[in-house]
Amino acid sequence: MLVHIDGPWSPLLGRLALSEIPYNNPILVGTFVFAALLAVILVGLVTYLGLWRTIWRDWLTSVDHKKIGIMYILIGLVMLFRGFMDAVMMRAQQAMADGPHSAGYMDSPHGYLTPYHFDQIYTAHGTIMILFAATPLLVGIMNILVPLQIGARDMAYPYLNAVSLWLTAAGAALVMASLFIGDFAHAGWFGIVPVMELPYSPGVGVDYWMWAFQLSSIGTTLGGINLLATIVKMRAPGMTWGRLPIFTWASLSANLISLSTFPVLSVALALLALDRYLGTHFYTAGLGGNLMLYNDLFWIWGHPEVYFVILPAFGMISEIIPTFSEKPLFGYLGMVLASLGIAGVSWGVWLHHFFTMAASPAVNAFFSITTMAVGIPTGVKVFNWAFTMFRGRLRFELPMMWASAALFYLLVGGLTGMMNAFTTNDYMVHNSVFVVAHFHMMLLLIVYAIFGGVNYWFPKVFGFRLEQRFGKIFFWLFTAGTAVVFIPMFTLGFMGMTRRLAYVAFPQWRPLLDIEVVGIVIYLLSAVFLVAQLYVSFRDRAQNRAGLDAWETSRSLEWMTHSPVPFYNFAVTPEVHARDERAWRVEHGVDTVRPERYEDIHMPRNTAIPLWLGALSFGLAFGLVWRMWWLTEVCGLAIFALIVIRSFDRDTDYTIPAADIERMERAIRDVPSGRPVVAGVRGAVPAFRQGV
Amino acid sequence: MTHTTDNAWEHPEVQLAGGGYIVAFVVGLALMGLSLWMVRGHVFAPTGLAVAISALAAVAAFVQCVLLLHMTVSRTQVWQTVALVLFIPLFVITIGLTSWMFHGLYRRTMMMPATHVARPATPTRPRGA
Amino acid sequence: MSVTTSSTLDAKGSPMWSSGHGHDVISTKTLGFWLYMLSDAMMFTALFAAYAVLGHAFNAAGGPWVRAVAHAGVAFQETYWLFGSVLAYGLAMMALKKGNRGGVLLGIAAALVIALGFLAVDGREVLDLFRMGALPERSGFLSAFFTLVFYHGLHVVVGIAWMAVMLVQVASVGLTEKVVYRLLNLRLFWHFQAVMWVFMFTFLYLRGAIV
Repeated sequence: MLVHIDGPWSPLLGRLALSEIPYNNPILVGTFVFAALLAVILVGLVTYLGLWRTIWRDWLTSVDHKKIGIMYILIGLVMLFRGFMDAVMMRAQQAMADGPHSAGYMDSPHGYLTPYHFDQIYTAHGTIMILFAATPLLVGIMNILVPLQIGARDMAYPYLNAVSLWLTAAGAALVMASLFIGDFAHAGWFGIVPVMELPYSPGVGVDYWMWAFQLSSIGTTLGGINLLATIVKMRAPGMTWGRLPIFTWASLSANLISLSTFPVLSVALALLALDRYLGTHFYTAGLGGNLMLYNDLFWIWGHPEVYFVILPAFGMISEIIPTFSEKPLFGYLGMVLASLGIAGVSWGVWLHHFFTMAASPAVNAFFSITTMAVGIPTGVKVFNWAFTMFRGRLRFELPMMWASAALFYLLVGGLTGMMNAFTTNDYMVHNSVFVVAHFHMMLLLIVYAIFGGVNYWFPKVFGFRLEQRFGKIFFWLFTAGTAVVFIPMFTLGFMGMTRRLAYVAFPQWRPLLDIEVVGIVIYLLSAVFLVAQLYVSFRDRAQNRAGLDAWETSRSLEWMTHSPVPFYNFAVTPEVHARDERAWRVEHGVDTVRPERYEDIHMPRNTAIPLWLGALSFGLAFGLVWRMWWLTEVCGLAIFALIVIRSFDRDTDYTIPAADIERMERAIRDVPSGRPVVAGVRGAVPAFRQGV
Repeated sequence: MTHTTDNAWEHPEVQLAGGGYIVAFVVGLALMGLSLWMVRGHVFAPTGLAVAISALAAVAAFVQCVLLLHMTVSRTQVWQTVALVLFIPLFVITIGLTSWMFHGLYRRTMMMPATHVARPATPTRPRGA
Repeated sequence: MSVTTSSTLDAKGSPMWSSGHGHDVISTKTLGFWLYMLSDAMMFTALFAAYAVLGHAFNAAGGPWVRAVAHAGVAFQETYWLFGSVLAYGLAMMALKKGNRGGVLLGIAAALVIALGFLAVDGREVLDLFRMGALPERSGFLSAFFTLVFYHGLHVVVGIAWMAVMLVQVASVGLTEKVVYRLLNLRLFWHFQAVMWVFMFTFLYLRGAIV
């Protein structure tokens, strides 16, 4: 049954002891001091401004889909920063630990990181970037936009939405806790078995990785259910499938993926947990286990996950490009089918992650062909975007810059992906940094779309536009950094450099590695301008106020409500008449028609239970990591009890009277908002059906 | 929402309940009994038997999906059915492709004499060599 | 390609804002729960895939293989307990159709008791296997076998706990909207695990008598 682990264990603290706190590692101590200072400053600031009550009442206990979305994005940004710092450390290590004569610092033979520490860093980098940066950022954006785009008051299950958020937060907190208490996994973000098995990884690192992944997986599955049910059931009258905004279609496709694949990840991780805790033999090398089973189950999730993050990115690009081309999207139906097609094909390609497993040639050929087939719907999308821009009235404002740059990276990443799809070629570059450069191109395309989307929808959510000058400097520096880091990486891959090297044996790779360091410094510099952009935008927010339609040529439903969006989204649910409802109303001169009559609105009440569930899940996982069984039991029982207690709560909703709605609407309208009408062409003619 | 009518049970999804539950019980038990009888009596060769009980399981699952889970195309149920129909290929892909790739893998890497393997491991010769 | 067909509509005459628009809470809840059940089906699928990979003779690593641990006769006993419980819950739903609170309580109570019967048979079978030395940590095959058995058993345990909660809610709160959609969701859950049992019975237990 329960596997016995040698070493100290106490009933109260489990395996946790003072020696598990890395107080003798200067890097971690420095990080801790930085994090602690940041925490003290934040706590002090919040206390000084007297915001605790607001934070608790309006944010932490909120079930409002927009606030939950913003909190998702905040988690994503914090984790993006953490993952980026990991990248900086890796680049520095590879530049320093170069050749047998390179110096070593801090107990390390070469460079400044011991191999074990370096391994943890790349594992953390991958885990964080995929699951705790890209996923929360995109889930957050979908959370904010999908109900607005379909004219709903909220998600189908606002309470469940908050539960998903706090489960993800608990997972992220677990990853962060591993920095200062114990260590993290050292077997890569996707896990290498049997290295992940207990005999080879007796520490708590793998347990941290496993449970953080598991929490995030459960949270994302629940979030997927929520978005799907919202899209199917909560559409405004007239919002037929043929009129659904393209981003919502992309979200639908993406969440079909999350609903169907995250459960497989949960199983893959649960079986690993059974191996580690109960001594079963799923992935062991002996006694009838099969270590390839882990790779199989993991990548059944792992590859579709890539499309889960890329589809919303495509969706955002598809919304941004028509707005700034002042034309409707070219090939709506093709775009929808391509999104669904990518979601479908994503289910049949996973073996290309282990072509070298020694499966039979027919199997490899099958997966090679399916992988190439992904290029077809993706190609359809690229051409549709190009044709949308063709003969459009292009305006290169910030969102458009990010979106169009994303297309270049899609091209580079996509074509190198096709190269990897050839089994023969994959045998050559498997496990080399060529593959690393390829998927960084793809993931950076997602980051580009996210920055574009954030710039594009920021005024909708906060009521003012982001500053453009610093924003553009940030854009160009970020783009330069990307090129300077990853083009040499492709080259190094062809030169035979394998991934995950804590020590670089060949001095002739040195120049290219040094160039990569230059690139990462450019990245660091760009981050400064991002902060400057956010600061200046916030400072000048009064001048940058946006009206209903911040870009004046936007097309979809979300631009028909106020900026910032009131908590009830639409005072009265809109009737939808056309695919691009906002553009249709502008074209027909009915965009200023206001509701004649307001009605009562039912809204869900805020509740702290999701927050408690998240905290208890953290406790449960932490107890499992350190084998503090009492903590696990207490938290598990408390979770069960809370769920049952909540089911007896009859007072979960409330009603806002129509009169109050009317008063609030009038108050918003009376505020002078919106940019002054610009003389000249821009926005004056929405070019509704121009060129198509 | 807090304001509920006194008769939430008049919702069409509640009204789906019916005698089909009894039919599903009888048919399900009968099919499983038939499978058991066929296996006990070895009425076919092992391969045929495997096909037969798989087919019976599929029939039983279908009957239960329609009669117990109400997977129909009626107005109230159509989205449930659509979701299920979208998922069925995924069930097949997951188990089918996994079995396929591991079948090949075992045949090529497991050199032990294994009774279940369809063909003994034979060294494959590259074509044209 | 036309952007929209509705430009023929008289824009000025058609309503811009809808009134009296509400959504059907019960069917929204049941759809979401069914999507959850499908994700659960995916977990069963992954476990079956693991069983397909680890179900070979050499995965038993010299320990007991499927013939020794999968007893079709006992499994058939479990089948009629389980289907009986499902039927009892179905009868509760037929009582709900008429708003018959007593009938609902009686049906769920019967389903709960019969489900306990299933657990008793299942539990004794597993304990017998354990005593025989067929433990999950014995081999990859047994790990996959028992994980499926326990995962299904977990559903039965959760179902029983849920039924107990619903008994209290139906008795104390009555057949409100919330209680009704929970009863419908529980119906989906309970009937779904019966469908999974069909595959468990066929591919786990009957297979033992074939190979």
